[in-house]
Amino acid sequence: MFHWLEKNPFFFAVGVFLVIAFAGLVEILPNFAEASRPVVGLKPYTVLQLAGKNVYMKDQCIACHSQLIRPFKAETDRYGQYSLSGEYAYDRPFLWGSKRTGPDLHRVGNYRTTEWHENHMWDPTSVVPGSIMPAYKHMFSNAADIATAYAEAVTVKNVFHTPYGDDIKAGKKAWEAYRPKVLAEAKKIAANMKNKDVKDAVNAGKVPEIVALIAYLNSLGSSRYEANKVK
Amino acid sequence: MNALMIKGLLFAAVLIGATIFVVESMHIDLSDPINLITMIGAIAIAVLTVGVSIKYINQMKTDTASGELTDENWDGIGEYKNELPSGWAYSFLGTIIWALWYWTMGYPVNAFSQIGQYNAEVKTYNQKFEEMHKNADKATLQQMGESIFLVQCASCHGVTGDGLSGKAQDFGSRMTKEQVLYTIKHGSNQLGFQMGAMPPMMAQGKDAEEIAAWIAGGMKGKQPAAFATCASCHGPDGKGMNGMAPDLAGYNETLVKHVLDHGKTGEIGRMPSFKTMLTPIQDKALAVYIQSLSN
Repeated sequence: MFHWLEKNPFFFAVGVFLVIAFAGLVEILPNFAEASRPVVGLKPYTVLQLAGKNVYMKDQCIACHSQLIRPFKAETDRYGQYSLSGEYAYDRPFLWGSKRTGPDLHRVGNYRTTEWHENHMWDPTSVVPGSIMPAYKHMFSNAADIATAYAEAVTVKNVFHTPYGDDIKAGKKAWEAYRPKVLAEAKKIAANMKNKDVKDAVNAGKVPEIVALIAYLNSLGSSRYEANKVK
Repeated sequence: MNALMIKGLLFAAVLIGATIFVVESMHIDLSDPINLITMIGAIAIAVLTVGVSIKYINQMKTDTASGELTDENWDGIGEYKNELPSGWAYSFLGTIIWALWYWTMGYPVNAFSQIGQYNAEVKTYNQKFEEMHKNADKATLQQMGESIFLVQCASCHGVTGDGLSGKAQDFGSRMTKEQVLYTIKHGSNQLGFQMGAMPPMMAQGKDAEEIAAWIAGGMKGKQPAAFATCASCHGPDGKGMNGMAPDLAGYNETLVKHVLDHGKTGEIGRMPSFKTMLTPIQDKALAVYIQSLSN
């Protein structure tokens, strides 16, 4: 058999490929499969949070903020529990980032509140003296694109089987029926805010970008899976 | 002894002689072991080079082909059937045994774990930290508390702890009148004190106003009669009966610890829990620092 292989370089190459590929598969695939599974209890982003994630991407928060806490003591002291790969299972795309001009935000929901974000996005130096972060006042007036966020939820549900409920499905009618749920969530956030324009807009059925962004930032952290953990 | 051998030995002798000549003419100190070893090395290389060359040149001159050819030949070039060299064969068997170990134990059980390394690092550090600060004095705690405060607390409570004009608790005093009224109105069951939940509306109207004004004023002057209701849990002096209930007069250690562990939602807004971020000594240090802010 081996003499035959020596006389047939093509099949010899196939044999070598199979042997090396097998070694790669047994080492890489099991870890890969485990790491890409969602953390137990992880909920997908709500439509409002997805809209906030889009605001986060649109205004390029990733240029200065990472979302990846590495397992080093210096990092976990500052930002909390290190990140797990399964926490990003519903992040499309994930926003790890590679630049920390500002702090990491992967657990920001654990130690910052709606009120704080409101003050901070309006005028960062009012809460963090010496901060070089610019103010994002336009977020208080611009409307968040919740329709696109809904479409995104429908898409990931159909394509990747992200576990959304039955009420998220394609079609304008379904969206019209779902819209009040997004508004109800926005109202909860706005109730903790002080800006009058934002409150008025939410009461009038609009969702300013700041509300969606705060919903998203509040979701970053252990609250996304801790509550549903099997005890 | 053939001609080649004689030539080789002569050549080796010339090389050795040349080496010794160089050493002598450069006045190299041979009592220094480094120099001596280097010279012996140079001579050994000369001898080995000559010896090995003689062996192979002789072999090329005298060897003839023998042995059985394999079936293959490549454009007329054949290959003998040779025994596997035993060293090679045993090494190969060794790699198979190693592969079995690696497959069953080395990779799945003994693999390097980044998280394991992190856990060990944190454990060692925490032990060292606890040991070092077991009996920390007040000055150390104060300093530690200030550092923690600046990193974790200052972004809401402000660098000076003044609460950034009402955005968070002002550590310069204990409670404002509005805060006391809010708590009386809503009750509280957030901090996990041993005394349990505080029901809403324990005092009303003028009584509540009086209590609030008195507490906000730093508990000076005559205690309002209605405070008796509060005193049953918070103690007649409002200090929380040795940690059974929240301290209304200041920021004692139990109060700070309970708020850090449980977070708090009140008249100002919500403060999240910092339970996973701080160790008991750090809680204590924060309490010392916060107490120093209100003095």
